[in-house]
Amino acid sequence: MIKLISCRSLMFMAIGTALAAFSGCSATVPSSLDRARVNLETAQRDPQISGNAPLALQDAAQAMRRAERAWNDTRNKEEVDHLADLADRRTEIARVMAERKIAEGETQRLGQERDKIVMEARQHEAERARRQAEAQARVAEQEAERQARNAELVSQEARAQARDAEVARQQAEARAREAEQARQQAETATVRITQLEQQLAEFKARQTERGLELTLSGVLFEFDKATLKPGALRNLSPLITFLQEDPERKIVLEGHTDSVGSDSYNMELAQKRAESVRNFLIQSGIASHRITAHGLGKGYPVASNDTEAGRLQNRRVEIIISNEASRSASIPR
Amino acid sequence: MMIEKRTRWQRSITGSLVGIGAVGFVGCSSVSPPHEYIATGELALRNAQMTNASQHAPVELRMAMEKLDKAKQAMRDKNYVTARQLAEQALVVAQLAENKAHAEEARRAAREMRARIEALRREAG
Repeated sequence: MIKLISCRSLMFMAIGTALAAFSGCSATVPSSLDRARVNLETAQRDPQISGNAPLALQDAAQAMRRAERAWNDTRNKEEVDHLADLADRRTEIARVMAERKIAEGETQRLGQERDKIVMEARQHEAERARRQAEAQARVAEQEAERQARNAELVSQEARAQARDAEVARQQAEARAREAEQARQQAETATVRITQLEQQLAEFKARQTERGLELTLSGVLFEFDKATLKPGALRNLSPLITFLQEDPERKIVLEGHTDSVGSDSYNMELAQKRAESVRNFLIQSGIASHRITAHGLGKGYPVASNDTEAGRLQNRRVEIIISNEASRSASIPR
Repeated sequence: MMIEKRTRWQRSITGSLVGIGAVGFVGCSSVSPPHEYIATGELALRNAQMTNASQHAPVELRMAMEKLDKAKQAMRDKNYVTARQLAEQALVVAQLAENKAHAEEARRAAREMRARIEALRREAG
């Protein structure tokens, strides 16, 4: 093969040399060839070009070989200049193509960067939205807590008011019970007083300026006697009760007789009768200092002594109950 | 990957031209008319005109057109060697113009992408 080429080269060189004389061919290497060779090798050493446009560089190298072969074969300077120019153009094309690849690569890289920025922006936005949502959730939670606290306060307030109301209700109930008790007591007292008054009314009690005057009429005593009839004891029991109920009251007992007999005798009898009632009252538990007894005789009749009925009325003991505790009951007639 | 995106015909043009050259240049005279060279040159020029070469490589584009015109004139003058040389020159210059247009478009795309990133950064900033 080498042998064949070299044979053919030799033949071409011989023909070329022969033709050179009448076709303007030259013997010295044209500068265009050197310049194209230098430009091609510079481009081949540039990793940007060899890396980005290897096929275009191969085309340029092929064109360069064609030019060199033409020089070796023909020595036709004009043709070799033309072919060297073609090779130079091809080198330039390789350079431009590499520039294009670099720009395209940069565009691609920038595109990835842009995608990354967009992605990060989205993530950032998502993160921001998430944080915002969290902040809103926190605010809502705090608001809920605050409302719960308020509700608890309101609830406590309501419970306190309910307790107060319960206390007030119980107090009102207690007061109502007290009032009821007082009312019942008052009622009881009223009933008792009414009863007493009714009982005392049996003694024909009458209110005078000396006080309440009762008359224990002649039925209590036998004729000419100072001792009380047994029935009188029962009749006196309302008086005893009255005096027990009202321990401040004092009483005065006045003994009276009918007109039968002498004054002195009747005076004495009257005195005895009053004393008899006084003793009975003392025996019944009434303090002695509360009771004053004296005989007034026949001088104060309440009825006619001409009839037995009248005389019966006149044989009596009158009881004067002082109106007030402080006042003496011994107001003279 | 877009390492040297070249159309099939482009590659075949280059290959066939180099092949024709490699066949050997027998002599300085008695050459047949280079119709193929004219056709491939025209094809390359048309391809360049379909890009933004008029904007990005106006000098090369005009040069390719002029060379092709001169090649056709040489054909008419039956100056076939000159016609082939001019057609070959028109071809590489047209291809250079086309590649310059592509490269400029690629740079512009990169610039736009860079500006977009700047805008995004400002927006995010």
